[in-house]
Amino acid sequence: MTGPEAFDDEILMRRIDGELTPEAASAIDAAAAGDPTLARRLEQMRGLRALAREAFPAAPDARDADLARLIAAGASRTAPWEALAAGLREAFSPRYAPVWAGAAAACFVLGLTVGWLGQDRASAGFTVASDGTIADADLVRVLERGLSADGADGEGRAVSLTFRDGSGRWCRTFRAGEDGVSGLACRHDGEWRIQALAPFDTSGSEVRTAGADTPPAVLAAVDALIAGDTLDAAAETQARDTGWR
Amino acid sequence: MDGFQTELVALLPRLRRFARAVCRSDADAQDLVQATVERALAKRGGYRLGTRLDSWAFTIMRRIHIDQGRSKTRWGRVVAPEDAATPNIADGSQAGEDLRADALAVRDALRRLPEDQRLAVALVLVEGLSYAEAAKVLDVPPGTLTSRLVRGRQSLIQSLTEQGVSA
Repeated sequence: MTGPEAFDDEILMRRIDGELTPEAASAIDAAAAGDPTLARRLEQMRGLRALAREAFPAAPDARDADLARLIAAGASRTAPWEALAAGLREAFSPRYAPVWAGAAAACFVLGLTVGWLGQDRASAGFTVASDGTIADADLVRVLERGLSADGADGEGRAVSLTFRDGSGRWCRTFRAGEDGVSGLACRHDGEWRIQALAPFDTSGSEVRTAGADTPPAVLAAVDALIAGDTLDAAAETQARDTGWR
Repeated sequence: MDGFQTELVALLPRLRRFARAVCRSDADAQDLVQATVERALAKRGGYRLGTRLDSWAFTIMRRIHIDQGRSKTRWGRVVAPEDAATPNIADGSQAGEDLRADALAVRDALRRLPEDQRLAVALVLVEGLSYAEAAKVLDVPPGTLTSRLVRGRQSLIQSLTEQGVSA
């Protein structure tokens, strides 16, 4: 291919943005050296990039001081999730594994959760009421309507395993990606209640095994509760479409 | 302050810059930065140490911005239908700024781009994110990001050429 048409706007754009291999970038530069039209197009894109940066300088702003105070004040309030996640990590450390293996089905997390509920978390995502009912409307929607095949929603919420427990309740494992937790919830009187909760993908944590998305503690809770097998995709869809009856 | 807070404070100028590139007025941009900081503090448990705080915060900002845009659109339909025909153009200049006319023209042209192109251009051209990072912030496949970027750039170049600005 020769001539300017050999290079469309996308490849020139990638050249300017540093998104090409050195070889591909050199090929364009070499072509532009002998082709004023191509050189002009490249120059136009390079100029636009420079102007765009000039148009929006990252300058200090007097209002940043107020925001910095707001951020600093965030320190005095212990970050609620971090405290909870740290508590969970401790509780799920291997030292305690035999204990949880026997008692994983209980609503054991609630004691850890309560201290954090009193805080103002109006818009802060994952929330659990004191009886263990999930109060995060988006997570409830995913539990109620989501399918494992859907994958994560825009904020990392997803369901994976679906099954019935010994008393006939529907239960589903979920993850709330942005909040860094994974859990098991069972449906009771039309509400989803937390049965188990654990942090996932926390660096240096003992609770995550390579390649497994669901933390072992949550899987242990599944094992403790499950009656029969987990549903396949067709049965999962049917259970959802019949309103979890 | 801990490391997260220190980094967030250091990020403020870039958050404001991105907000000003995606919002059509400085007041909206300030509100967006404030809302982003508040949500970042509330959701800091969702941030993984060792990953990029800027991408994480831009993602939060993008979501808030899109949500606000939706509610404004709904509100606009109910309250002030006549405003729908009024062009919503950037405020011409901002206090303490001395931009060259060419840069001002780019700023105004960028703010007239369709939302999806504006966000893509702001992340890559203004913020300097890689295509992969920008696609992640926008939660779109890489191909979608590049096509928005190409179209946004073509519109900008055309608009500037029409105004006699040599990019």
